[in-house]
Amino acid sequence: MKAVTDPAKLLLERLLRLLRWRVWIQEKLQPTEWQITLLWAALVGGLGALVSLIFKGLAEGVHDVLTGSGAGVVESMRQLPWWGVLALPAAGGLLAGFVLLLGRRIARGQSSTDYMEAIVIGSGHVPIRSSLVKSAAALFSIGSGGSIGREGPMVQLSAVIASFLGRWRQFTPPQLRLLVACGAAAGIASAYNAPIAGSFFVAEIILGTIAMESLGPLAVSAVVAALTVRGLTSEAQLYKVPAFKLNSAWEMLPYIGLGLIAGVAAPWFLRSLKAAENFFVATKLPLIARLTLGGLIVGALAIKVPEVCGNGYSVVVDILNGHVAWLALAVIFACKWLATAASFGSGAPGGVFTPSLFMGASAGFLFGTGVHAIWPAGAANPGAFALVGMGAFLSAASHAPVMAVIMLFEMTLSYDIILPLMLCSVVAYYTAKGFEDRSLYSEALKRKAAETPGGLAFEVGSVAELMKSKPPTLRAGARFAEIAELFLSMRVNNLYVTDGEGRFLGAVSLHDIKPYLGEAGLAELVIAKDILREDFPRVAPDASLSDALGGFLNFEAERLPVVARDGTLLGSLAKGDLLLALVERRKKP
Amino acid sequence: MLMSNYFSSVMSLPELIASPDALVLDLKVASGEEAIRALHQRLRSATPDVKNAEQFLQDLLDRAALASVCIADDVALPHARTPAVDRIVLAVARTAAPVAFDSEHPGVRLVFLVGTPKAAVSEYLQLVAALSRLLKNPGTRAALLTAPTEDEFRAVLARAQKR
Repeated sequence: MKAVTDPAKLLLERLLRLLRWRVWIQEKLQPTEWQITLLWAALVGGLGALVSLIFKGLAEGVHDVLTGSGAGVVESMRQLPWWGVLALPAAGGLLAGFVLLLGRRIARGQSSTDYMEAIVIGSGHVPIRSSLVKSAAALFSIGSGGSIGREGPMVQLSAVIASFLGRWRQFTPPQLRLLVACGAAAGIASAYNAPIAGSFFVAEIILGTIAMESLGPLAVSAVVAALTVRGLTSEAQLYKVPAFKLNSAWEMLPYIGLGLIAGVAAPWFLRSLKAAENFFVATKLPLIARLTLGGLIVGALAIKVPEVCGNGYSVVVDILNGHVAWLALAVIFACKWLATAASFGSGAPGGVFTPSLFMGASAGFLFGTGVHAIWPAGAANPGAFALVGMGAFLSAASHAPVMAVIMLFEMTLSYDIILPLMLCSVVAYYTAKGFEDRSLYSEALKRKAAETPGGLAFEVGSVAELMKSKPPTLRAGARFAEIAELFLSMRVNNLYVTDGEGRFLGAVSLHDIKPYLGEAGLAELVIAKDILREDFPRVAPDASLSDALGGFLNFEAERLPVVARDGTLLGSLAKGDLLLALVERRKKP
Repeated sequence: MLMSNYFSSVMSLPELIASPDALVLDLKVASGEEAIRALHQRLRSATPDVKNAEQFLQDLLDRAALASVCIADDVALPHARTPAVDRIVLAVARTAAPVAFDSEHPGVRLVFLVGTPKAAVSEYLQLVAALSRLLKNPGTRAALLTAPTEDEFRAVLARAQKR
């Protein structure tokens, strides 16, 4: 037999060989759309961890430059003269305001949608430029010692990366929202080194469901993020705590009291933040002046009590290890509350998650000390109360007790306190819920939702809203080589065939041609029309989601074509998207 | 392999190839289209399974117009998936002189005309793959071109499949 030299034939043979490989790999691994989603989730996890680390590094860099000291926030504040302490947070506020003002020009027209809004009420679209501007401003409010958490921007940036990737790959809205949720989970997992809490935070608070369809990708993303952080830094658990011991069941009694206190204090903490925000808005000062004023208040407090600066992390570590006297802590507690209200209220970009951990730890420690004074056996170690107080406060503030318990456990790796922690978090949750139906996060979301036409949730009602438009199509006369090439590049199992006017004729199934990929002779003869299946099921664009689901139940395919009444092929509907949308809908009454 | 009922109830795929529904040696036609029409006519009178002869012919011609049906310089495989047939039908011809099917295939001598029910995608591919495999062999092609009788022609097809 003579050697084949025709370049077209050589190309065809190569294509067929590649397609055989693809089919082989597909059959061995059988990656479904869910598994592909997991791969994307993993990628988002890695990238999210990287941007989180970069932001953290930058914030520390800004802090080093502003204070001239590489020590922690509180420590470097102690080293500054009084006027420096007073001026620094104000200067930070000024710079942050300047960046925000400048950024308005760059991000003109972009909303300041944060990741939670994007997931809950949006289409998963997190605007890149305005997020970057906000994060850049946050570098200054955080680096200058503002009483605000750096973890919020870390999570936001991680979500931005996810949103960017998803939009680049043209994900459908449910997929995009899931991917952004993965980004947020990755951000939390890297910020707090807490992968379980990261996935549950997003599932419980933002998605409102712990269905495996969404929890699986969230977990993968969080795990990869945590691995990335652990691989690149030497961080273990966030808070190193001494061992605690529950000596008798009676010790649980005071914890119920702590739960009640946290349940009352957390809503008041949130209300005070809101009140501070209203106060600053009522001053009618321009944004830069407001931020500077907020910084000035923090600076003034920090002259006597430098512990108010920063997210409160180092103070919490001291509290947990019993290095702070209760009287001093009472002063710090009150000043930190004020400082956080000043920073947050003035509009300083940053998070309040870590500051609320501080509030819980101080409240817990103070309560524990009080109990210890009256009944020493009932509260042997006030440090344990601090730990449990963090969880309880978090649970009451976020309305997410499951996440709070897991997060506390992951941040401290202390299993000894799990019983009081669970009890206390649940008590705090119910107390807070009875008190106030708003949580740390529901407030902003409700406000946004009111502005968004069409109600609270981005509700997907019909197939048309869910489908992916412009699916890869073939002409009826397409050659086998063309079919093989498209199958190779598109990673689908069925290619749709349309006529000249874009009307759907049927689908070519990879399954049908699979046994013949070795037959080059056949490849020269067969065109799409020869092997297209006209009876391929299709869904109408105005069909309801449950009708569409019926289509998938009767036919084994990952995607179905969406075909208009006049026969025009409009797009394709993925089974994974449909299931996600149905899961999302189920959780919303 | 389990054959579905798209091949006739008694015949398997190799049997269908070895004894097609119609067989003509030394078909005298001047063009590919004439060859298709002639074989279609034979098939129509040979089997009741061609339900709608006009549509079948139209589908065959439409397909041939859409893209080449030749699998070698001298072999054409006109075919159609059509609702006009109830099972896979096959008609085979050897032309008396080379005929042109298209500009790239001016000298076709062997014509295998296939009609397949719409739903029989994989059976269609099986048949076409089997035909193209055995007609790739130059020895088989030469034997078919020189077979003196219809019986000998069928025998060559039967033998070729066993190789």
